[in-house]
Amino acid sequence: MKRSNRTIAWKAAMALTAGGMVWAGSAQAQLAGHNVILVHGFQQEDLASPPADLNAVRHAGEDYWRTFWLSRSDARIDWGSDGRIEGNIAQQAYQQLRQISQQGLCNNYCIVVSHSTGDLVTRYLLENQARWLQADGLPPLRILASLDYSGAGGGTELADLALSIAYNDSWYNWPLKQAVSAFTGITPEPGRLGVVNDLQTNVARNLAVSPNNIPRLRFVAGGSSYGGITKPFISGTDDGVVPTHSACGATSSSGIDSCSGSISLSGKVANQNGPSGLYYNHYPVLMNEGVTHSGVLGSETGNTSVPVVNNTTLNGLRVDFASRTYNQRAWWQWWGAGDQYIEVPGSAQTDMSTLVYNTLNN
Amino acid sequence: MPLKAILVALLTLAFVAGLGRWLAVDNTSVFSWATGSNGGPSASNPVASHPASANPSARQALTPEPPDNALGFMLASVADEYQHAVRYPDYSIPLSAAQAEAYQGNRYQPVALPLEGGGQFTVTLEKFRYVQQEDILVVASLSGNQVVNDRLDAVLESAQSRSKADRAALTPSDENGYFQGTLKARGEPGEYRLIVEATVDGQPVRHASTLTIEPDLGEFNGLGRVTTRGNDLVIPLHFEARESGAYALSAQLVHRGEPVAQLQTEKQLDTTSDTLELKAHGTVLANREIDGELGLMHIQIRRLPARPGDRTDYAFGPEEGYRFTPPDLDSLTDTPAGDPESEQRAALLRQLADKF
Repeated sequence: MKRSNRTIAWKAAMALTAGGMVWAGSAQAQLAGHNVILVHGFQQEDLASPPADLNAVRHAGEDYWRTFWLSRSDARIDWGSDGRIEGNIAQQAYQQLRQISQQGLCNNYCIVVSHSTGDLVTRYLLENQARWLQADGLPPLRILASLDYSGAGGGTELADLALSIAYNDSWYNWPLKQAVSAFTGITPEPGRLGVVNDLQTNVARNLAVSPNNIPRLRFVAGGSSYGGITKPFISGTDDGVVPTHSACGATSSSGIDSCSGSISLSGKVANQNGPSGLYYNHYPVLMNEGVTHSGVLGSETGNTSVPVVNNTTLNGLRVDFASRTYNQRAWWQWWGAGDQYIEVPGSAQTDMSTLVYNTLNN
Repeated sequence: MPLKAILVALLTLAFVAGLGRWLAVDNTSVFSWATGSNGGPSASNPVASHPASANPSARQALTPEPPDNALGFMLASVADEYQHAVRYPDYSIPLSAAQAEAYQGNRYQPVALPLEGGGQFTVTLEKFRYVQQEDILVVASLSGNQVVNDRLDAVLESAQSRSKADRAALTPSDENGYFQGTLKARGEPGEYRLIVEATVDGQPVRHASTLTIEPDLGEFNGLGRVTTRGNDLVIPLHFEARESGAYALSAQLVHRGEPVAQLQTEKQLDTTSDTLELKAHGTVLANREIDGELGLMHIQIRRLPARPGDRTDYAFGPEEGYRFTPPDLDSLTDTPAGDPESEQRAALLRQLADKF
């Protein structure tokens, strides 16, 4: 069953060379002194109209990050969403990994910024890149950390449903069909789902899950995408595409409402249906109830970010956490202090990407 | 008269709404920019307070100047946690109960398909990956008010070619509404669709999900002599691979049924009998009271993709695992592993965090 992909890979490499390296940023585009590699998410246009070649994939990848991160990055790993991770996507990604290795961009440790399915792609590449590169006589990439926005590494129920819809040509559940069409951008058919196959919760959670020493910092959204039509079909809270169980890095696909057992996505300090556990070296950092799945990439302001505070002990010492806490009463709460909230001060005046970038580059 | 009543009602409603709105405004904004000046347990600390906070003067003496940046605090916390994590080498990491379950591998969580009217069509399998010719027990259930036929049909279809590998009827197994039947993992290794078809309110409804059929990678031939070497408990496991290649072996070390650590290793194997060594580092064993036998459970071996685009193949050790009596473990210590790359990464993260 092993396929020989050398010819395809060689052609892809040639196409990449001929097309020129479309590296996104300038030499100064670093984050805290480290080069930044971008790994984008699912692009539904690729299912409706598969990219013609790697150049088309690269152009689409460039457009994906234009809102904020493109000018702040040093390299990208682009991939076509019409493929599978253990297939075309790995091949396309590897051509770019080779270039990054040859250029020595990660000699001083890179920071990966991933979005959505880019989380799953990154996880797969981190598991395999060292062996592949060493087999080609190249040094493995040294990764400092991965900043995962709306990470889909645990899959999404929308992908589970897309597969069933693909096999139900005359089936009647109209709202579900509409939700799946909004997510995939097509009327699903068995052979046309591309990377959506990898996003099924069981498929994603059986792909490259071995623990490793690279920290994954998780940034979680909870807003409404596609006019809210997808939300009823995702377990627990979600950002319209990715469930919170996935974005937090929870060890199970059971629906949860927050990355914390004591703070909600909106910052309310109260018992929550949080994860029973997190994958090793997965660290939820911020949650934001209002921002949408794509809004985390820099297009949406006005939403408050919430720190995922599990303890306030640092180096064995308790510190008072420098956040804004306040009490708020709902309209029916006429007396008393109301509910307690916690937030990152000033976070509503900026977007989640700018917030993180400015903080790290402070 | 009715008009007046309506007017009074509207005015009352407007008054209540206005008062409610006024009361809903943040009423006790507290800006705890560090310091603990609010007194009592910090409002920003939703978890139990640290012993250091019990004595205010001691706390003042011990507590460093708090960061003035909330996100910075979070990054510092990550650096702190990561610093702790790198005590463990990546070949031997401690496990919480939830992590132990997740890292068992080969899990299939039930997949639910919503039906009109609030019902659900759920399919459950014992696992996600099956070896060729293995039985696949399929359990399905339908909830809701729909009228459902008393028989479901299950088909196993190749994801790539769409050829049918097997089919079976699922019949009611008890009075709880479960249907079950067994398929055979026929066909070449690869990804397969499990399509379970029900007739709901007279219409066909198909539930599709994914499983894989794995090739026969080789034979597990038990454990070699378990010894200590340096600060590791070394557990040799014999595996005779059918094909040469790069293989990754993982298993959970258990003591009295409790998970102790996730162990993993990679090695290039050829087709002669070969041995992979799992190692449990002192950091996961030194502070435990180990008496009696240890066990290796959830043993999984993967043939790793030689080139990008190749498939990862999986095989699994005996379900009951292997048990062994460890040698004297007194020489093992809780000394951090000191993996240079992880240490360097931790130092860089700390450098980032120290800015706040």
